[in-house]
Amino acid sequence: MSRLLGLIFLASLPPLFAQQRCKGLIPACRDAYMGDLNWDGRYWRAELFGSETTEIYYTFFRGLKYRLIPCGRSSTQATPHLRIYNANRVLLLDTRTQGEKPFWDLELSNTQLLIIEVYYPSGHGCVALLIGHGPSEIAQAQD
Amino acid sequence: MVFAARAVKKPSKKSSLLSNLAWAGPFLVLLGGCTPSPPATPRDLHQADSAYVVPWEQFEVYLKAAPSPVQVALWLREEKVGFYRDPLHDPTLAGRYSGLQGAANLGIYLTDMAYAHATKQYQPAYEYLTAVNRLASRYSLEDIFSPERIKALDALQDRPDSVQRLMAQYYGEIQERLTETGQQAMLRHMILGGWLESLHLTLQILEREPQKSSLSDVVLLQKSLVPLLLKLYAADTAHSEASRRIFGHLSALQATLETLPIQESQARPQTTVSQNRIQIEFGQKVKLTPDKIQEVRSQLLPLRNFIIQT
Repeated sequence: MSRLLGLIFLASLPPLFAQQRCKGLIPACRDAYMGDLNWDGRYWRAELFGSETTEIYYTFFRGLKYRLIPCGRSSTQATPHLRIYNANRVLLLDTRTQGEKPFWDLELSNTQLLIIEVYYPSGHGCVALLIGHGPSEIAQAQD
Repeated sequence: MVFAARAVKKPSKKSSLLSNLAWAGPFLVLLGGCTPSPPATPRDLHQADSAYVVPWEQFEVYLKAAPSPVQVALWLREEKVGFYRDPLHDPTLAGRYSGLQGAANLGIYLTDMAYAHATKQYQPAYEYLTAVNRLASRYSLEDIFSPERIKALDALQDRPDSVQRLMAQYYGEIQERLTETGQQAMLRHMILGGWLESLHLTLQILEREPQKSSLSDVVLLQKSLVPLLLKLYAADTAHSEASRRIFGHLSALQATLETLPIQESQARPQTTVSQNRIQIEFGQKVKLTPDKIQEVRSQLLPLRNFIIQT
């Protein structure tokens, strides 16, 4: 019986470590890239295998600057990228076409519901997305 | 922070395991996939939830899509709209609601409270806060709107961005608490109530202040949320009469919203990227005539009446 429990314990360690590793992404990315923007503590997290992606539906308001921080690194050391769609699933941007950046600042001319797809170009691993917000730089410049 | 991680991947057993592990612990998952009972909640909530056979994991991604009532109210404040008491729900009825209907009305009262607060009508805001507290206590949520927290909000009333941040946080906490305690059916109704009241209020204000044409952006946003609400309710129309009726009302409303005259100033959204800055220009505008506003309202009213009836 004790052997069985021991085996179960050993078998449980890899997913537990994976979970801890995923959890650790959030504070590290927040501290590194959130800066002085507001963050309401919300984040999204998933473990991606193969060509899986994870989706986030989020309402972005006009007049605010949003910081999108995709966190993680895949088994092939790839960084996560974002595909941004409008509510009708029209692709607005795939950040992979813009090179490697640790975060992206986003501003919209109108308040919109957007769909953000997070993915790894290769490999598998944990991924997370944090969204911070602050005053719009465009609006401030116009003022 | 109360928010917990929530994998929002397209249906995948792997992400489900990951999110379960966060709180169930590896032993429980391995020993036959058992999960512990959620924290104690009032008995009638479980009974109500059990009527809903919904694979929530597939739908949680939609539950966080809608803006909080406070975000919408602060948007109205930005547009400097007036305060109108008539269209709001009656806060004295809060004690008559319970279960899933109570959750939908909680969303309505939260929206009315946020609107009153955003337009600096503190006495009505307090009346709605009382209604919110009354309903929130039925779902073990009363601590989220504790007197200390309301004091903190009052102290910040001239700093809308701070108020927005705090209220968005509280609303998020409600969402997370309902999810963690297995009350997603409640959460779904609360989101429906908030969405419904936001659209109802916007239309009412547009009727009274037709010169505030930028409010039509709110209507466009609320329109884009209808397909998500339809997905949430389509999941159990075969099992629930309430869901069937709500789905029917939403479908009729969607058909009307689809007829809104959209003006496209550009063929498609324009995305500009410079360094790591992304700007997206949307050329869509909707011109809401009094007739159209009336038409949308007439489709919205039966759904609102269904939810607030006592």
